[in-house]
Amino acid sequence: MANKSVWSDNRFWQRSAAWVTGFASVLLIWLTFDTSAQISMGNDADLQNGVTKRVPGPTVINYKITYEMSQKRGHEVPIIGGNDGKGMSLFQEKETFFGRDDWSEEEAAELLHLGKLGTQAKNCMNCHTLLGNGAYYAPDLTKAWLDPAWGPNGSMQAMTGKDTKEEAMAEFLQHPSQYPTHERMMPNLGITAEEAKGIVAFLKHMSSIDTNGFPRNFAKIQGAVHGK
Amino acid sequence: MASNHLTGIGSESKQLATWYFTFAAILFGAQLLFGLVAAIQYVMPGFLFEVLDFSVARMLHINALVVWMVFAMFGAVYWLLPDETGIETVGIKIGKLLYWIFVAAIAVVVLVYLFIQVGPADETSIWFIHEGREYIEAPRWADFGIVVVALGFVGNLFLTGIKGKQTGIVTVLMADMIAFAGLYLAGMFFTDNITVDQYWWWWVIHLWVEATWEVYVGSIAAYGLITMIGAHRKTVEMWLWIEVAMLFGSGILGLGHHYFWIGTPEYWWEIGALFSALEPLPLVAMFIHVLYDWGKTQGAEMNAEHTDEDNVRSVIKNKPAFTWFVLNAFGNFLGAGIWGFFHTLPQVNLYTHGTQFTSAHGHLAFFGAYATILVGMMYIAIQGTNGIKVMKHTKSSIWAVSMITGGVVGMTVALTIAGYVQVLVSRAQMGATWAGYFDGQSGMWFAQAMDWRLIMGAVTFIGFLLLVKDFLSTGKNPVHER
Amino acid sequence: MIDPAVIRPEIALDDFLPIFVSSALVLIFGGFYVGIYTAVKVKMLKKWMMPFAYLFWLLTCYCLYIMGSLMHVGDFTAKALVVAMIGYLLLPHAVYYMQDQVHQKNEH
Repeated sequence: MANKSVWSDNRFWQRSAAWVTGFASVLLIWLTFDTSAQISMGNDADLQNGVTKRVPGPTVINYKITYEMSQKRGHEVPIIGGNDGKGMSLFQEKETFFGRDDWSEEEAAELLHLGKLGTQAKNCMNCHTLLGNGAYYAPDLTKAWLDPAWGPNGSMQAMTGKDTKEEAMAEFLQHPSQYPTHERMMPNLGITAEEAKGIVAFLKHMSSIDTNGFPRNFAKIQGAVHGK
Repeated sequence: MASNHLTGIGSESKQLATWYFTFAAILFGAQLLFGLVAAIQYVMPGFLFEVLDFSVARMLHINALVVWMVFAMFGAVYWLLPDETGIETVGIKIGKLLYWIFVAAIAVVVLVYLFIQVGPADETSIWFIHEGREYIEAPRWADFGIVVVALGFVGNLFLTGIKGKQTGIVTVLMADMIAFAGLYLAGMFFTDNITVDQYWWWWVIHLWVEATWEVYVGSIAAYGLITMIGAHRKTVEMWLWIEVAMLFGSGILGLGHHYFWIGTPEYWWEIGALFSALEPLPLVAMFIHVLYDWGKTQGAEMNAEHTDEDNVRSVIKNKPAFTWFVLNAFGNFLGAGIWGFFHTLPQVNLYTHGTQFTSAHGHLAFFGAYATILVGMMYIAIQGTNGIKVMKHTKSSIWAVSMITGGVVGMTVALTIAGYVQVLVSRAQMGATWAGYFDGQSGMWFAQAMDWRLIMGAVTFIGFLLLVKDFLSTGKNPVHER
Repeated sequence: MIDPAVIRPEIALDDFLPIFVSSALVLIFGGFYVGIYTAVKVKMLKKWMMPFAYLFWLLTCYCLYIMGSLMHVGDFTAKALVVAMIGYLLLPHAVYYMQDQVHQKNEH
């Protein structure tokens, strides 16, 4: 019993466990405060003033969004309203969304709210992935808005008989099993026209989120979006 | 106190534990059935299309998984409390009432999932159908129910721990279970900001399965080593504290590996990489620990009996449970450790994130780290309720453990191959588009991997049926020493 | 033109398989190392097996090196990996020492 080693003392390890856990938790909480500030949603004024937010405000649906290589960051980043040539957004070039490029802050927020509720109520995440999280039975939706399949030369506009990306997407969402793209089809989820509009707004907004370069090489082979 | 673990007769806490275990086993079966439906859909996409779609089958598959594990975890705590504290669990009447509330709520949730499936895009769907957030889909009303039930459970645990003898195992469980219940609150709100949504969502999922659940497993393993092979309480408990330090030290900030790509800042790359590289270490340590205790106690037995190695009595008092516990030590390391480490560094995760790799890891880790030890606890309960001194393997217990383990490992290997195809075709080359995704899915290797996954899933299910047969019959089997 | 130094290096298509295999082997060999070490110490295996434990540790390091270089990990991660390997070498010694201390105390 002579060797009273601290290493075999129960109390010592009990205290160590408490300290380690406490320290890790405090660090996580501190990081959470910092991250929360950085991932809070921007607003229309940010977009007007050219402030880049990791998660832009809902009115980002009035702008053209692309996904391009940033020299500074070393990977692709979402570019809103045109590229300044150095991989930063200019927030100038607009793009109509269901015929308008002047969605007000309230209207856009309402649309995004409806869309986010829609993605949850329709259980999108248990087939698709959003920001890479979810099930793996259907394509990732992180940058779905930028997918060349929905673009002017893609197959989906012709298939749905629509002239714009947003209308093609909304049509597909309402009647998915009429437009099979693969043996594995999307089921009819009873999505209404208004809900489809909201979900497309949600998808356009999601494509503007800065995901640190995920997914890599998006659309590298098929007529790259950032090549335009 | 050390001796009454052998008998569950007369303890209400242990009776409640067997209720929890029984319902857990039923949900385990449901999990496998819906998993089979989803696996069939990968192979035959038309199967039950617009009747029971993949999204519904998959939601039931993963929810049944989470809920059966929570049930078995609660059950295991109710089982060990009288042994550890030396007294009957406080508030057992409330515990039994909460059990029935919990079971009824789950039945309602499952029926709604099955027959209503989706609702309109408004708050009522979130409150009454499901929340559409992977793993924690339970509708909001059920969230509140879960919080009430969990508080009741934690209350019983605390009151018993304070009133009775407070061992190291009980202390760790008390701290761990309150964190486990509290973390659920982080997943109970709605936000339009998908990045914020997923940030807090991971607080629940990650801090459950890679922190609080792992610590829970550490405590259960400690209890199991004491009861099954008579390991020294002091060694085991000191070791438990070291595990807590290692698991929380690496696991809490290991959360960073979920924050690489969801819109969160870039510093999570470094934090996530560093702490998730450390995450396998406690799993390795837990593995050494089981080996050490087994070797030492068996060695002591040999010295005491002075017999040759062939005739020495085994120190193991419950062979099937011990088999599952050893599988746990190994499976935790393999599934959570190796299959996690595979794709945890951001450089590789950029390509593997959201592919079948994740699914492979999920299958092996949930099985290896949690299913194994909980099944082991069920065997301990069967031993206790039937008054068995030394429990032996039966034919079906051996077949069950072999088929379930073989099936899960087979599924994992198949999914890993599928994930590899996806990484190469859909991610590295085609850049994650719609077309790229389906090119990857149509590859021959991918398709064959999915066939094998289904076959291995069926093997797992047959193994499960044998396990149930063994659960129901082994208690009365004359091979055990009574 | 884009300066190649600032672009996050891409993983070559042919490198994915070696990366996955080597990262799995890191932990498999690592498992053998701690497993054999502990088993020899508690006399479940004969003493002459011990050098094999260290051999497996060397293999672990080698696989981690392959994995890290194919992944093009940064300076910070590279240092972290070296520290991890040294830690890994010490881990079973420390664990065994502590286990044994407690055990001795309880038996005598």
